[in-house]
Amino acid sequence: MDDKIKSGKDVINDFFAEIYNIPNADRKTVDALVELYSQEKLSDKNVQNTLDEIVQKEIKQIDKKDE
Amino acid sequence: MSKNKIKSITITGIRGVREGLNLSPDKKSLLIYGDNGTGKSSITDALEWFYNDSIEHLTGEEVGGKGKNALRNIFLNPSDKAKIEIQYSNKLLDNEKSINNLLKTFNSNSSKEFASYFSKSQSENLILRYKDLVQFIIATKGDKLKHLQNIIGFSQVQELRSLLKLVGGRIARGIKAGGYSNKRSAQQAILLESLGQNITSSKQFFETALKVIAPLKLETEIKSFKDVKTALKSIETNEETKVVEQIAFLNKIADTLTDLEIEINVIHTLYKDHYKSYIALRKDADKINKLQLLALLTEGLKVLKKDIVKDNFCPLCQQEKDKLKLAQELNQRVEGLKEIKAEQDKLSEECEELTKLLRTNYTIISGLLKEKYFADKENEAAKKNIEQIQNSIKVIGEDLKKDIFSTEPLKEFSLVKIDDKEFKVLISNAKVKSKALTDSIKGNIKLQIHTKLSRAFDAYMAHKKLEREEDILTKQQITFEALYTDFIKRQEDALEGFLTMFSDEINSYYTEMNPNEKIEDIKLVPLKDKNDELSGITIEYTFYNERQTPPVALLSESHINCLGLAFFLSSVKAFNKENEFFVLDDVISSFDSIHRTRFIRLLINKFSDYQIILLTHEKDFFDIASSEAKRKNWLITSLSWTAEKGASLETPLVDLKNKIENKFKTKNIDGLGNDIRRYAERQLKQIACNIEAGLAFRFNDRNEERMMNELLSSVQSRVNKQSPTDLKTKNNIDSILASPILIGNKTSHDNTFKENINDLDVFWVDVKKLIKTFYCSEDKCKSFVAMKNFDNVNSKIRCNCGTVNYDWKK
Repeated sequence: MDDKIKSGKDVINDFFAEIYNIPNADRKTVDALVELYSQEKLSDKNVQNTLDEIVQKEIKQIDKKDE
Repeated sequence: MSKNKIKSITITGIRGVREGLNLSPDKKSLLIYGDNGTGKSSITDALEWFYNDSIEHLTGEEVGGKGKNALRNIFLNPSDKAKIEIQYSNKLLDNEKSINNLLKTFNSNSSKEFASYFSKSQSENLILRYKDLVQFIIATKGDKLKHLQNIIGFSQVQELRSLLKLVGGRIARGIKAGGYSNKRSAQQAILLESLGQNITSSKQFFETALKVIAPLKLETEIKSFKDVKTALKSIETNEETKVVEQIAFLNKIADTLTDLEIEINVIHTLYKDHYKSYIALRKDADKINKLQLLALLTEGLKVLKKDIVKDNFCPLCQQEKDKLKLAQELNQRVEGLKEIKAEQDKLSEECEELTKLLRTNYTIISGLLKEKYFADKENEAAKKNIEQIQNSIKVIGEDLKKDIFSTEPLKEFSLVKIDDKEFKVLISNAKVKSKALTDSIKGNIKLQIHTKLSRAFDAYMAHKKLEREEDILTKQQITFEALYTDFIKRQEDALEGFLTMFSDEINSYYTEMNPNEKIEDIKLVPLKDKNDELSGITIEYTFYNERQTPPVALLSESHINCLGLAFFLSSVKAFNKENEFFVLDDVISSFDSIHRTRFIRLLINKFSDYQIILLTHEKDFFDIASSEAKRKNWLITSLSWTAEKGASLETPLVDLKNKIENKFKTKNIDGLGNDIRRYAERQLKQIACNIEAGLAFRFNDRNEERMMNELLSSVQSRVNKQSPTDLKTKNNIDSILASPILIGNKTSHDNTFKENINDLDVFWVDVKKLIKTFYCSEDKCKSFVAMKNFDNVNSKIRCNCGTVNYDWKK
């Protein structure tokens, strides 16, 4: 029986392996999630901080572009 | 690599085991009989502590320390360590775990292999006790889901699912609470004021900026923001610096308060929504009572699950009550309160977000109040008013600390509402003053243009940032929604697949123990709540051709226990990746004899690859299991307990026989007579039991002390009566009864008889002859004649295969 069952780890690994094929997903957001997962740091706090960083980085880029 | 089995376990000073108790199954299965109080559970406790570092049933508050306080044997010297040493089929994993009198634990194996094995083993199904047998069956639907998700590693899946939902929801609420549209409008208003028109693109901004600086005839181009900055730099002047700073200060007040006004409107909306839900829940006295009761019910369930209450009574009202039914009732009540609990959780979440928003705006005002021009007397009133607004924000934050059970409820919206008139006055005053100051420098065109363009530039950049921020957040929100939708499908598909296969396995074990009964097609079925969220698992089955759920409603205790066993055994097969052994501690207490036989056969037939350590205090089951297990090469032993040694194992019969034979070979008569008598007594007990020879009643603790002559006399009496023409003439009980060795079993000093090797040899031959009379040594049989094999047609008592048989009166 055990060989046919997908463990929780399998489900998560499959999800991350195919995450870039999910329609409507923003590349930068997905990159950040994949990075956190590969570092085993996927927590609410870390995700939120990373998303905030993306926003700040993007806004800073407006300034840079403008210069 | 093959999975692990146990070669030996040695326990010292743990629970009821005082001196070293050694089990050396050498990868074979082991059946252990021990009356209550002989230390069976000490073996299970030691193993549970070895793997989990705690003992669940000892973790009641009165014991404390994960059960470790009660782990050490009470007669152990303080300087001695209590310990359990396990040797495995994989030598690299051998480990001795010990605990000193300060309850500090030590592991002898510090290798990576062991650390990895130990960590993985902690989530495996290695031990089942009777008290845990039905936990899954009677658990709430939500707990069933949680339990299964834990053992198949789906707890991580559930965590990720929750994370995706939580973050996605938070971004959506952040966008809504951000008031981006209003904030952009506010910046457009500044642009309109400064440049006389709205700006919708950078190109338009550059063109307008060029027009603004045209009077200065700078001969410069503006095609980028860098050009705007260069132009501003080129018209910068040191003239009237203070006036310029004051204009900037006043504009900052106007702009910050304009943004804040928008934020306060959001806060007002959120507060009103939260207040409405808060009051609705608070007014519902029934729900409040139930929420307060929930804590008690949850605690009660914990007490029952830990088996702190040993007998069938309610620990609260002290009335007699079936524990199983009580736990099920509590589970149902907790389940029934899930929705109210979700309502309470939602309130907490709303409150948390509102508090966060208040905190952010409080900080923004703090930043504004640091402006140096607030120290001027003319700005004192404005400062005071702004501080009042900040204080109003603080008051709302303080009020939100009240929970649903607080004596005082949340304040009504009208009592905490921040007056927007204050904002309007402050903004208007700042604008008027700014305009006046700007007018005062009207003669200085350069300065005027600089002020205008600089403000417009800041407003346009802020507008762009707001636009960009909302755009990024919206992308993040859409991403999380897409990921969540994809992920829940994967989770549900995998869970469905698992449940189908797992149900088949449970069904097969259950029906093997309960064939030809009207309970069929047992299935674990996932359930969803009203939001289409996976909320639990229920057990369904067909009973007299109708689908039924839950199991407790129609099944007997014995059947529910069968279901619990089927669940555990299915879990062992599905999830134990590291270990190929498991321990069953007294799990058949409520089984009748038919279920017991089927259960042991199920273990022997379907789990022949596994090493099973089966402990029982039930003699009947032990007898049934022994005869079945012996044929499959299981080791069989018994536990006894004395105050001096604590729990100890009886020497196995086969070892005792070898010991006797060896003593004859070496002509060592020391203790030989006693060894033969012990051997004969144990065989005679089995014979007496099998032919139903009458013995005077004795309590359990004295039953083991029956002497050989007593057993011989009762067997002889029974044989003479039931088989006067056959077995009576074929047995040699008379010879044994007449033997002087038999008399020597009393070590009294009145006894002058001295044993010699020849007498002992004759006695040993007689004992073996007697046993052979009653025992069939055929490979396929290896059993004593027994009443259970009585041949009604031919009136014969027989062994299992019928090879050894004697005439026997009905």
